[in-house]
Amino acid sequence: MSFLPFGGGGSSQQTINQQNVAILEQEYEAVTETFNRIVDSCFKKCIPPKYIEGELNKGESVCIDRCFSKYIDVTTKIGEALTKKGQEAGARTGGFSV
Amino acid sequence: MDYSHYNDAERAHILKLLEQKQMRDFMKFYSNLVDRCFNDCINDFTSKTLTTKEETCIQRCTDKFLKHNERVGQRFAEYNQNMAAQAQQNLGSRSGGGGWFGGQ
Repeated sequence: MSFLPFGGGGSSQQTINQQNVAILEQEYEAVTETFNRIVDSCFKKCIPPKYIEGELNKGESVCIDRCFSKYIDVTTKIGEALTKKGQEAGARTGGFSV
Repeated sequence: MDYSHYNDAERAHILKLLEQKQMRDFMKFYSNLVDRCFNDCINDFTSKTLTTKEETCIQRCTDKFLKHNERVGQRFAEYNQNMAAQAQQNLGSRSGGGGWFGGQ
């Protein structure tokens, strides 16, 4: 173990649980993907491509905040609808399918 | 992210993986920004060099996008914090509550 004062390479004896790593990897990809999608959508909807200034003006800032909030709401709503569908299907067939 | 339940080998492996992914994400971010500002600012091909007007546009486009990205990042962090707090609250009464973003 690394906190013991002897031997530097203790970690080589430990095994890597690929499943744990894969879960974390998936989570990272999901978070980045969602974030990038929001950035993309809200930029398209809130920032006119004229670029009169480099700053975000008041209207744009307010638009971004609302856009973010709505994007989350839509994600939640659709998630709920899909979950409900899945549960209904699951009740019928005993498995998960949409 | 919380690495406390990973062993040293896993932690080292994860950090290396994250580093690779961050590099890849930065390159994506870079090319995405170039694409965006090029398409929005450059429409005149009567010369092969950038005009002052185009350069100004590129500068503003870049500034604006970075600020936009930062603002969405702030809202995103707030949202994640709220979800984490809510999940903590629901821990006793209901399992599996909380957001689908995980903590950062």
